[in-house]
Amino acid sequence: MKMSAILKKEFLVFFRNIGLVVFILYAFTLDIYIAGKGIKVTPRNVPIGYVNEADNLIVNKIISSFHKPEFKKPKMFLSEKALKEAIYNKKIMVGIVFDKEFVKNLLSKKEAKLQVLVDATAAAQAEVTLIYLQNILMKFGNNLKLPATIDIIKLFNPNSNTKWFMSLSELMSNITMLGLVLIAVVFVREKENGTWDIMLLMPVRGSLIIFSKILSQVLILMVGITISIGLIVFGAFDTPINGNLFYFYLISFLFAFAIGGIALVIASVSKSVLEVGHLTIVIMLPLIFLSGAWTPISSMSPFIQYLSYLSPLRYYIEATQDIFFRGSSFMDLLPYLGAELLMALVLFYIGYKKIGRLF
Amino acid sequence: MSSKFQALDSKNILLEVKNVSVSYGKKIAIKNASFSLKEKEILGFIGADGAGKSSTLHAIAGVVSFDGEIIYKNYVYYSPKEAEKIKNEISLMPQGLGLVLYDFLTIKEHFDFFRDLRGLKKAMEYETKLLKMAGLYEFQDRLAVNLSGGMRQKLSLILSLLPRPKLLILDEPTTGVDPISRAELWDIVNEMRNNGMSAIISTAYMSEASKMDRILLFDEGEIIAKGTSEELIADIKDYTYEGEMESKECFSFNKRTYCLNSLSLKKTTPTLEGVFFVNALKKSKKPIIFEIPKKNLQMPEIIVKANCLTKKFGKFIADNCINLEFKKGEILGLLGANGAGKTTLIKMLLGLYPIDKGELYLLNKRIKSYEDRIELKSKIGYVSQKFSLYKDLTIKENLDYFAKMHGLSVNETNKKIKDYSEMLGFSEYLNAFPKEVPLGINQRFSVAAALMHEPVVLFLDEPTSGVDTVARSAFWRLLRKLKENLGISILITTHYMSEAEYCDRVVVLKRGIKIVDDEVEKLHKKYPGLDFEEIFLEIYKEKNEN
Repeated sequence: MKMSAILKKEFLVFFRNIGLVVFILYAFTLDIYIAGKGIKVTPRNVPIGYVNEADNLIVNKIISSFHKPEFKKPKMFLSEKALKEAIYNKKIMVGIVFDKEFVKNLLSKKEAKLQVLVDATAAAQAEVTLIYLQNILMKFGNNLKLPATIDIIKLFNPNSNTKWFMSLSELMSNITMLGLVLIAVVFVREKENGTWDIMLLMPVRGSLIIFSKILSQVLILMVGITISIGLIVFGAFDTPINGNLFYFYLISFLFAFAIGGIALVIASVSKSVLEVGHLTIVIMLPLIFLSGAWTPISSMSPFIQYLSYLSPLRYYIEATQDIFFRGSSFMDLLPYLGAELLMALVLFYIGYKKIGRLF
Repeated sequence: MSSKFQALDSKNILLEVKNVSVSYGKKIAIKNASFSLKEKEILGFIGADGAGKSSTLHAIAGVVSFDGEIIYKNYVYYSPKEAEKIKNEISLMPQGLGLVLYDFLTIKEHFDFFRDLRGLKKAMEYETKLLKMAGLYEFQDRLAVNLSGGMRQKLSLILSLLPRPKLLILDEPTTGVDPISRAELWDIVNEMRNNGMSAIISTAYMSEASKMDRILLFDEGEIIAKGTSEELIADIKDYTYEGEMESKECFSFNKRTYCLNSLSLKKTTPTLEGVFFVNALKKSKKPIIFEIPKKNLQMPEIIVKANCLTKKFGKFIADNCINLEFKKGEILGLLGANGAGKTTLIKMLLGLYPIDKGELYLLNKRIKSYEDRIELKSKIGYVSQKFSLYKDLTIKENLDYFAKMHGLSVNETNKKIKDYSEMLGFSEYLNAFPKEVPLGINQRFSVAAALMHEPVVLFLDEPTSGVDTVARSAFWRLLRKLKENLGISILITTHYMSEAEYCDRVVVLKRGIKIVDDEVEKLHKKYPGLDFEEIFLEIYKEKNEN
C-alpha cells in the first residue's frame, strides 16, 4: 500500500516532466537509430587517389576494384607531389603510387612494391581502410598464383553489419547513463525542491522509501528498453536474436540495480540535479570505456583488462551480445548473470549504506 | 497636474517613476506604478512576497526591462540599457542574506574586490568610517563564511555604500536578521541619509514603517496606498473597531476589527496592517470562516517534553541544553534570528537529527530507538518552510500521497480530503498544481496535508513568511481553531517578532541558547506598554550585558 503510493507518486512526477519524458524517448529510439546508422567502422565513401607511372592494364584493373560504397571513384594525379598535396588538403584520404617498376616486378614474380599514403587523422578508419586495401591487393596476388589462399567465414554477423553491433552498444551506454541520472535525480529532486525533510517524516522505514523509489525508475528503464528493442533493434535494424529474450531482461534488471547502487552514491553527495549531471559524466565514461562497448576487451592493455572486471557494464554487454548473436544457452550465460548479480549486490549495498546515512 | 507645475515642484525631486509595469511572460509583477522620491528621503515598500516590490526596485535599478518611464534627476530612461548612465549613482542590494558575498574572501578582500569592480579609488577615511559604523572594523581579516547573519548583512550594506550612491535601493535587507543587527542596519541608513543620500527600502515587516519617511503599500502587483504612516492610518480610522469577532463581512486581526459597514463597537486607532484589510473589503473580498468540528481526544497535559536537548556540528554548538514542554491545546512560538538554532531544534524534535545529549518524550514515552522515531513521526504533523510539497502533483494527489503514506485506507483518504478541503476552504483548487494557486491556499493545503493522520502535535516552520496580511490573519484564526477544537499542541517558528502576540507562550533562542520561555501575557506585564518587537530588543540587550 505504502509502496504503491510511492510508485504512483514517482510515476506521476516522471510523466509530468515532459522534457524528461521526451529526452528518454529520444535516448531509447532516435539516438540508437542514429548510432546504428551513423557510426561506421567499415570504410565508406573514402576519397582515394593514385599516381600511375607504370601505365599498364593491371594497374587499371587494380584501380577499378576500388568502387562504391567503400570508395569514391579514384582520382588520378600526375605526380607524387600532387598526390601528397591532395592528402594535405584533405581532398583524398588514401593515395597509391604505382611506380615504373611495379608491373615489371609483379610479372617477374619478384617482390613488387606499392607506396600507399594514408591520412591517419581518423586513426580507426585509416587502419580499417588499410586492411581493405591489403585484401584487394591480395586478390591480385592470388590471381597471380600465390601458393596459399585465404577463405574468410564471418560468424554470428556474416555481413559484418555494424548497425547491429553499434545500436546494441549505444543502447547499453544509454541505459547506463539514464540509469545513473534517473535514479540519482529521483532522490536529489527531493533535496532541490525542499521536500527531503517531508519525505523523511513519513512514518515508514527508510529502506522502503529507498527501494520503492529505485524500483519506480528501474521499471521506467525496463519500459524504455522494451521500446528500444521493439522499435529500433528489431524494428528498424531487423537484428536477429538467436538466444532467449527473457535472459536479456533478467540481466537488464540486475544491471539496473547495480547502476542504481552507483546512482545512490551520486545522490548522497549531490545537492542539485546539476551536480548529478556532472558526477554522472565523470562516472559513466570510465564505466563505458572499460566495458568493451566500443572496443573488444581483449585488445585493451592487460592492466585495463583487469580493471574492466569492475565495470558492471562489461558483463551486461558480453551477455547481451551472446544472447543476440551467439544464441548462448542459460548455462553459458550463467557466469555473466552471476557476476552481474554479485555486482548488483555489492554496489547496491554500498549505495544503500551511503544514502541510508541521510535517512 | 500640469507639466509646468511639476517643473516647479521638481526642485528637490530625485527620482520619478511614471506608469512602470514589469511582467515576466504572462505574469504581471507590477502594474502602473507611479511615485516620486525626494532628496534625502527614505521611501518604504511594504507588502507580501509576489506583491511587486522587488520588480519595481529592479526596474529602477535598471536590471529588468519595464514599460513606462523613470526619471532620475533630469535623465529619462526606458530600458536597462539607458539606465547604464546613472548606475554609478545608484546602488542596489538584492534580497537574501549576504548573497553578494563570497564565503572565502575576508572583509578586507571584499572591499578590495568591490572597489576594483566599481573602478573606485581607495578612500581610506570613508572606508574606515563605513567599517566602524557597521561594527566590523575589528574583524577585517575574518572570512565572510565565519560571520553571523547580521554581520553578513551589515557587510553587504556597507559594500553597497562604497561607491557613495546618491540613491540606495535595499530589497528586504532586514528579513531574518536579529533585532539588534536590524536596528544597526537602520542606524547606518539614517547616518547616510543625513549625508545627503536617498533610499528606497522594501520590507515585509509592518513595524518598520515608522522608520520610513513615506511608504507605499503593495498588494497583488499594485500600489494600493501611499503616504506617511500616519496618513495611511488616518485614512482607515472610520472602519476600525475594538475587539475581534467572527463575521463574513469584517476582518479581525490583532485585537481590532475592520469593517466597511458601521458596527456598534467602540472605534479604536488602526494599525498599518488595517490598510490591507480595508483594501480587501473594498475589493469585496470576504474572510473565510473555518468550521472545525470539536473533538475530545484523551491526551495527557504535556504532549512533548524535551530535556536538555543538545546538538553539535563539529565544534559548533547549534543547540545548547534546551528544555521544552509542549502543552495540550497550546500554541508555542519559537522565535530567533537566522542561525539561532531554531531549525536544528525542530529537526531534533521531529526525529530527523539524532540527539547528541538530552532526552525526548512524546506522550510520556521516551523516544530513543529507530522504531520509536517512526512511531514519533506517525503522531506529528509538519508544515515546512515555503510549504514545499510536490509541485508536480496536484493538490489532491499530494493529499492522497500523504494520507496513504500514513496508512489511511482509500475510503478514509477520500473522506479526509473532502472534509479538510471544505473546512479550510480550498475545495475548488483540488485539481490545481501548487504553483497555480495563491500562497495563502498553499499554506492551508499544506496544513491539511499535515493533518491527514490526526497528529497530536503540529510543527509549522515559518508558515507565514512572505504571505500577505489578509491570508496571514486567516491562518492565525485557523491555528487557534485547530488548537481549541482538536486540542492538539502547535509549535510555530517565525521571524516576525510581532507574531509572538498570537502565541500562547514564546520561546526565544539566541545562538543556541534559550533566552526566553514565558507566557505572552506575562511578558506583557513585565514590559508594559511595549510591543513585542521592543520587548525582544530589551531582552536581547539584557542578555548581551550579562
